[in-house]
Parts: sequence; structure tokens; C-alpha cells
Amino acid sequence: MNDTELDALLATPLPERDAGEFSVLLMERIAQHEARPARILAWITSGVMLVVIAAACVFGASAIGHVELGDDSTHLLVPAALLGLTLILSYTVLQSVRE
Amino acid sequence: MDDRELVERAVQSRDVAAFNLLARQNQSKVRGLLLRLTRGNHALADDLAQETFLEAWRGIANFRGESSFSTWLYRIAYSRFLMQARKRKADEPLDDWDGTTPSSEGQAQARIDLDRAMKKLAPAESAALTLCFALGLSNTEAADTMQIPLGTLKSHVLRGREKLKVILGDQS
Repeated sequence: MNDTELDALLATPLPERDAGEFSVLLMERIAQHEARPARILAWITSGVMLVVIAAACVFGASAIGHVELGDDSTHLLVPAALLGLTLILSYTVLQSVRE
Repeated sequence: MDDRELVERAVQSRDVAAFNLLARQNQSKVRGLLLRLTRGNHALADDLAQETFLEAWRGIANFRGESSFSTWLYRIAYSRFLMQARKRKADEPLDDWDGTTPSSEGQAQARIDLDRAMKKLAPAESAALTLCFALGLSNTEAADTMQIPLGTLKSHVLRGREKLKVILGDQS
């Protein structure tokens, strides 16, 4: 084989490959990559929510042990606030997961 | 729409659809290059190609347009291949390649012979020849893609050509 023949052979374009399946797989991987911050946020929010729920349980237990609920309306503020926070965090988690 | 416009859209508005078009336009050549480098291991070549495009998507904001988008992709692909080759144990050879590709049915025997012969070259020689001939890059662009000096690239091309002549000469 001479130089000219070899050059011609080497210059043959690479075979065309179908983009279909490759492209679909790539888009899935990109979507997963893009969703990563939302997933991380969801995990962090879940962690905070667990802490809030635990705090609510502790507060509830201490309130039952030491205070008669309903005697003083201010005692209801803390559990109500914790409940509200839990609902807000739940909503955030749901939104993050949906994204 | 050409690569430059699509890159602008992908960078400015993180437009996945624009990047998808870019990927579709360039996937065949990137996969072809990696198929040569991996000596015909389709699964590995496609896996590396996926990683190449994912890395390109992550770092597209860093693409300054000094080279063409495809050349930039080849550089990522080649560096991905080198990273993978370093990880691979020496006693874990790549699959044997029969020289055929999924789209090679009915293609000239010469191409099949070339693919088989390419398998016997060092990866750097195979990459240099593929970039310079099959993908049409200039020597400077190919050297830049492989991140080697121009002189080294020319040596790879010369050595690769000489080896191919011997191998193909033996086959015929």
C-alpha cells in the first residue's frame, strides 16, 4: 500500500452512528444531574424537619408533664409554631422532590 | 442552526434542548473517535462518550470559542479516555475487536482492515491519525486536543502511518 492509498483510507469518514438511544440516555443523565441540587435540598429539609418534629415531641412531653394545657394560651404558641414550621418544611420537600 | 448559536443558547439560558441538538450533531464523531481509542469496545466507548457530553454540559460556560465546539469535545473525550485507561489494570485488556461496527455492514473491506490494523497501534498513534485524517483536524488542533507538543503529534502520526503500512501490507 502506498502513501496516497493509505491517506485516502485514513481520511474515510468514521461510520455514522444513530443518535436516538444515545441522545435519550444523555438527556436522562443531564436531567439527573440537574436535579441533584433539589435532591440535596430535599434531604437537608427532611433532616431539619425531623429535628423540628423531635423538638415538638420533647416540648409536648414536657408540657404534659409540667403544665396543664389550656391554662395559659401562650403555651400553645410553641407547638403551633412547630406544627406550622413542619408543614412549611413538608411543602418544601414536596416541591424539591417534584423538581 | 450552527454549533456557535446553539452553544450561546446553552450557555446563556442553560437550554437543554439546544445542548441536545449539539450532542446529536456531534455524537457520531465523538463516539467514533472513542471507539477507535477503546479498540472497538462499543459499551466502553459509548459510556465514555456519555461522560464526555455530561462533562461538556457541566462546563459549557467555560467554553470560550477559541476552537470549534467539536474540537473541544474531542479534547474532553481524549482526556476521559486517558483517565479511564489509567484506572484500568494492565491485566485487564480491552475486548477483542473484530473490526466491525453496527453500521459497517456492506462497507468496504478496506475500512474493516483499517479498523483491525488501528487496533494494533498505540492509543496515542490511533488518536493522532483519527483526529488528523478521519476527523479532519489540523496538526495544531490535534496537538491541542491531545494536549501534546506539535512535534510529538507529528511523531505519532508518522509512526502510526509506518506501522499501518506494514500491517496493511502484510494483510494484503
